[in-house]
Amino acid sequence: MTRALFPTQEIGSLAKPRWQILGQRSEPLDAPAKEELRVWDERVGFGKEAPEVRDALLAGRPREANPEAVRDLGALFGLRFLETAGLDRVYDGEARRIEMYEYPIRQMRGFRFGGHVRSFDNKYYLKAAVTDEVRLDHPYHVDEFDFVKQHARAEPKLPVTGPYTLADWSYNEYYLARQPGWKGRAARRAAQHEFVVDLARRALRPTLSALIDRGCKVIQIDEPAAGTHPDEAAIVVDGFNAATEGLDAEFTMHICYSNYADLLPTLLEAKKCRQWAWEFANRDSPGHDGYAVLKVLADYGDTREIGLGAVDVHRDAVETPETVADRIRRAVNYLGDPSRIWVNPDCGLRTRSLPVARAKLEAVVKGAAIARAEFEAPRR
Amino acid sequence: MLVRTGLTGPFPRSEALVGATRDLDRGRTTTEAVEELYAKTEEEVVTLEHRLGFDEATAGYLRWPDLFRPFAETWEGFTVGPLTRWLETNTFYRQPILLAPPGRTPGAIAARLPPPLQHSPTTSRVLLPGPYSFAVMLDNRSGETEPALIHRLGRLLGEEVRELRAQGFPLFLFSEPQLVVRPPEGPRAEAVIAGYRAIQGAIDGGTSVVWTYGADARGAFPLLERLPVSAVGVDLAETEVDQIPEGPSGKGLGLGVVDPHTTLEEDPAEVARVVRAAYARRHPSSVFLGPGAPLDLLPWEPATRKLHVLPAVRRVLSEGRP
Repeated sequence: MTRALFPTQEIGSLAKPRWQILGQRSEPLDAPAKEELRVWDERVGFGKEAPEVRDALLAGRPREANPEAVRDLGALFGLRFLETAGLDRVYDGEARRIEMYEYPIRQMRGFRFGGHVRSFDNKYYLKAAVTDEVRLDHPYHVDEFDFVKQHARAEPKLPVTGPYTLADWSYNEYYLARQPGWKGRAARRAAQHEFVVDLARRALRPTLSALIDRGCKVIQIDEPAAGTHPDEAAIVVDGFNAATEGLDAEFTMHICYSNYADLLPTLLEAKKCRQWAWEFANRDSPGHDGYAVLKVLADYGDTREIGLGAVDVHRDAVETPETVADRIRRAVNYLGDPSRIWVNPDCGLRTRSLPVARAKLEAVVKGAAIARAEFEAPRR
Repeated sequence: MLVRTGLTGPFPRSEALVGATRDLDRGRTTTEAVEELYAKTEEEVVTLEHRLGFDEATAGYLRWPDLFRPFAETWEGFTVGPLTRWLETNTFYRQPILLAPPGRTPGAIAARLPPPLQHSPTTSRVLLPGPYSFAVMLDNRSGETEPALIHRLGRLLGEEVRELRAQGFPLFLFSEPQLVVRPPEGPRAEAVIAGYRAIQGAIDGGTSVVWTYGADARGAFPLLERLPVSAVGVDLAETEVDQIPEGPSGKGLGLGVVDPHTTLEEDPAEVARVVRAAYARRHPSSVFLGPGAPLDLLPWEPATRKLHVLPAVRRVLSEGRP
């Protein structure tokens, strides 16, 4: 399929609307939640697809809308939010997910949650230990994808947490215990490799296979932990390859807030990865070209697509379409081939309010259109 | 072999404290209730440290948001900056921003020490940032060069040590991951030595320990050996024991033998074997055993469980068993 230049895509989760959070708890919507539901329904038009759920929430009768139906409405909202912003590839804003670690791990056996770890200040996260061989209870995200496939008007792309990140965010107990002698650096590395590849083969691959069987054609493997230990890039790659081996889909790999050059050229061994979806805008500032790292990819002769992070998800200031277009121009300059570039936010927009997220997505779409007009004109 | 044991960094918060501090942020509990729980949990940590036979107690430093915050909040010249990743972990600290040459506020850090330490200084261990890691992990907008800043921070930390030493604290452990993550060279290395010379000048018969972690320490040993401190520590989850340089050392050797990156409990016999191997390479004046990196990378329960290896290792070593 020939696409227009600079197609656009989502990259991760959206903030949960307040009406969805309260509705899922069967709590009556307060005034701000009702207003939020009304405003966004009017703007992106999703309520008419489940009017009985919307109306029950607005009428203060949350018990008439069961939590699953509210979740479905949240997924419809996510889809329409992204589609009406003008994106070419969408998902549901991860409306059914709370986070990207605990849910997948809870679909597997061999793990034990043993308490909270402080992330910073008074913020904590649950971290499981792998205490036995990894086994998958059943493929996950399947019902979620079925719903998206049934309702999406644009092309769906499913995000799934990668095996390296799931392993890095867990304690390695079982595989480390199998290493003989002192559990020093070499033993830890070997145990981590075994853990990641086992996760990939026993949990990720069956899940991806089930999703592909249901019609999923584009899958984004999220590996935010990849940049945490650059010297383990080979393990990231082996996990990716084991998870995707023999599967037929368009795979992309999302990494963010990392020094990508440190992961290269090892990362290029990810055989079935068709697109690198990376964050760039966060590191782009006057006097510092955040896109210069693309030159390293070009120097290695890599010709895969780039999912170009063109808006920063950690700041409320909304980029102008011209800023996005300028970032695309610079990326083309480094890569040489405009047809390889998709345009997207740096990462998921869940930390931004819905109005800010929407404005940033619209800037992505408009900025891509500006660049498209410039680069397609000489072709005509 | 003279063996000393103790914590080398902050201890995790209990699940009760996790719940209470979360509730505090959400307005569901009071500062007084959380304060009460802090005090109770600190006593639990001290009790644990005594029960495990540690040479000094720390009370876990449960109230410190991160290693630098008390300094960023009380010393002159600083403001508290953005969340920044803590080494190669999934945890974060707020990066201090230095806007002007720093100056200490007398008494401020002493007042931030865990209350049980303030009440019983002579049996307590003070955990402080090392001047090098402090200098390279902050955002320096003061105009001061990095070597000058390292040296200045060493002098200021020396003044803290002098003040706390006068109160009776016997041991000061300086957290220095960056000495092995980004080993200093040239003028920066000389500034590190000068900084520790200032600290050592204030130690007045006490003990100073530099604790490294976060990377393989083998390349840093020439500098570590030159530091004028009582002992230097390395994390044996990062540094293989056969990579520790051979040759007698005039100072003590710290060995991080409890790995906070895994919930797997260490085997006392295996730890004792590695400790003996390290001892045979350096013949240090004393051996300090503890967690290789801060234990707050673990939840409370596994951290507590894993610490039990330390008295077990001590027993194995003292009994001369293989």
